[in-house]
Amino acid sequence: MRHLLMTLCLMIGLHSTAQEHKAATAKTTFHRETSVSTSIKADPAIIWALLTNASDYARWNSTITSMDGEIAPGGRIRLRSTLDAKRSFKLKVKEFQPASRLAWGDGKGLRTFTLIPHDNGTVTFTMTERIGGLMFPMYAKYIPSFDASFDAFAADLKKEAEAIANHAQP
Amino acid sequence: MALSEHDLTAEFERTRGALRSYILRITANRQDAEDITQETWMRAHRSLANFKGESSVKTWLFAIAQNIARDHLRALKRWPENVGDICKEAAMSDPDFFREAMTIHKTSPQARFEIREHIAFCFTCVSRSLPLEQQLALMLKEVYEFTVKEIAEIMQNTEAMVKYWLHTGRSRMIDVFDRRCALINKEGACHQCTELNGIFNPKQNAQEEAVKIQMVRDAAKQDKEHLFDLRMVVMKELDPFTSPAAELQLHHLEFDRQVMEGRPEQV
Repeated sequence: MRHLLMTLCLMIGLHSTAQEHKAATAKTTFHRETSVSTSIKADPAIIWALLTNASDYARWNSTITSMDGEIAPGGRIRLRSTLDAKRSFKLKVKEFQPASRLAWGDGKGLRTFTLIPHDNGTVTFTMTERIGGLMFPMYAKYIPSFDASFDAFAADLKKEAEAIANHAQP
Repeated sequence: MALSEHDLTAEFERTRGALRSYILRITANRQDAEDITQETWMRAHRSLANFKGESSVKTWLFAIAQNIARDHLRALKRWPENVGDICKEAAMSDPDFFREAMTIHKTSPQARFEIREHIAFCFTCVSRSLPLEQQLALMLKEVYEFTVKEIAEIMQNTEAMVKYWLHTGRSRMIDVFDRRCALINKEGACHQCTELNGIFNPKQNAQEEAVKIQMVRDAAKQDKEHLFDLRMVVMKELDPFTSPAAELQLHHLEFDRQVMEGRPEQV
């Protein structure tokens, strides 16, 4: 039932207006989709800069151990994550709308980041990863849950962006 | 607010030293520092009528200088954080390096080797490993004491982005020096300042010299932010063109720049 509700939320876009959502995963036979949202009190430019500076990720993001490459339109990146420390993921930047929307992925999955600014100075950050395809049922059981990692990613981003925005600098 | 030629000249003379040292520290190139400082004066003079008084004259002059320098720097590769190791290796296999350095040391009144001077030289080199905007913002804030608003004006960007560059640049430099600098971390890989002190001042005890620097005395407290602030105090205290070791450090800097960016072709 929970998965059905989550899927419905994702389909009608409720996730993008919500301020805080712990990570949740919806599964179908051929796909799996994990999403997390958080409200960040910082200029979207700061959040965007954090999301698009590949070499800086490992400093502030506890879920990524290294990232090389260029997060730019058509750019390619290689990242190592705590989800699978031995594996290096080679990904391509598929969408790049400054301070608004970013997506990277490979043949099996697509991770999308969206930023929605609000009049009160906060930004709703949403991160979604959809993985799957016709062969998904064959390897689904080998893919670990993303939920804890997504929660950590969103919390780290919020903490770092707000620390930069609030840093008392004359 | 209009700016008279007389006021511009007076302000330029007050700012010239800081401007020249800033350009040297971001370009690591003595000749560029002289040329860009001169070019800044000419451009400021030409566009005197455009000065609206929306920022201080000093901020305006730094903005002009940085525009000139940034175009040049964007064409160059950034340096790696272990630039000191690479250049040490190059110096060890280049007999001219120490011969020239010793000649300067013996003949120039501005060539007394001091560890604190090497700390400033080292920061100039290692900061070239930061992305360009982070390096520029960090220097302007931490060494030349501009406000975030003024840096945004100089860099023609938002205060939010300046805060991002300052935060990430500072964090990165704190991490690099914490891992590498043996003055503040016993496990640090780089001992270059004390090694050079042994070469240029063989009768001195390098450790005794090092503890005269507050950053070294406070190293045991292990507050990384505090140690970085003390490193910046050393930077602020020294003008790389007029300090007691200027000639020697400028020679080292030119050597490092040539190693990292290629030497001019011999004619």
